Amino acid sequence: MNLKRTLRVETLLVALLVSVTTLVLMQILLNLHLAGHSLGDEILHINAASTQSANAVTSVVTYFRGLDTLGEVSILFLSIFGVALHMPRGSKNLFSYHNTLLYIGVSILFPLMLLFGVYVILHGHLSPGGGFQGGVIIAGAFLLRFLTYGDHYELKERVVSLSESLSGAGFIVLGLLGLLVGDRIFTQILPLGTLGELLSGGVIELIYIFVGLKVSAEISLLAEHFVKAHNV
Amino acid sequence: MFDSLHPLITMISLAIFGVALLGVLVKKNLFKIFLAFSVAESALFLFFIGNHYTPGLKAPIAADGITRFDPAFMVDPLPQAMILTTIVIGIAVSALGLSMVIRYYKLTGHMRIDKMDELGEEQ
Repeated sequence: MNLKRTLRVETLLVALLVSVTTLVLMQILLNLHLAGHSLGDEILHINAASTQSANAVTSVVTYFRGLDTLGEVSILFLSIFGVALHMPRGSKNLFSYHNTLLYIGVSILFPLMLLFGVYVILHGHLSPGGGFQGGVIIAGAFLLRFLTYGDHYELKERVVSLSESLSGAGFIVLGLLGLLVGDRIFTQILPLGTLGELLSGGVIELIYIFVGLKVSAEISLLAEHFVKAHNV
Repeated sequence: MFDSLHPLITMISLAIFGVALLGVLVKKNLFKIFLAFSVAESALFLFFIGNHYTPGLKAPIAADGITRFDPAFMVDPLPQAMILTTIVIGIAVSALGLSMVIRYYKLTGHMRIDKMDELGEEQ
């Protein structure tokens, strides 16, 4: 009886504390005045003159904050490196069953998904999308192959590591070229073109091609490490 | 309909964050705890993106007849770019965490957080 009463008092106290905290937090968040549109206005104003990229979000990610994107890509690389270090690839796949429907569907879908991923990467400066999104679509195509083919399919280590390291090196070299030619890292070193065409935006498209290659190689390697974690 | 979506989006994202916090505190399975962290991240994304959207404004993309960039009819591109970075970092963090969970399961045969006594055995 006594134990029951203390438990009830504790529960009541915790509930009171949680509700008070929630109310205070909600009051703070509801009265939060978010600074609207000060830096974004300026970026929108100078975007057409400095990048000629039709997608302003893309030009923020790759041009105005290019160094930040380099850091983001290296965080992704370090994470995949850590996964590969303490979870080495086994030879047995978790999904080793034979499903004819899945087999036929994947053999139709795989080239289409690759094509769509390349399209999303190449049109990153014209429409929503870009290197990260297209890279993840390509990695999804490879994940479908892992689900279908079981133990008989593995990524070629050489191709994956070569594309990953070459694209990362190209990304850094592009930034250093901007530092050499212009005044800051990731500046425009190519002709800008006209707004809305495929060959426009100068250096943005090259950066997104490198990012797309790197992200697709890394995420498909990650999927393979998770799918083949059976006998770690 | 709404002049500003700020209160609605704040309440919804706070509710999602509360669900995620409950999952982190209550669940015993390490895998579910990491997935609850991912849910908390998505509440953060919703809060940022939603609060920088004003109803009636268009995406900051010069397509479909729009040929110039003007903050009068376009939303702020900066929070979207920030959240793009955050999503990628969230993927990296959850991949590393889940791989550590798999490794722990292979080592010990369970992944319950209340049965972890590896440090206690060593003392």
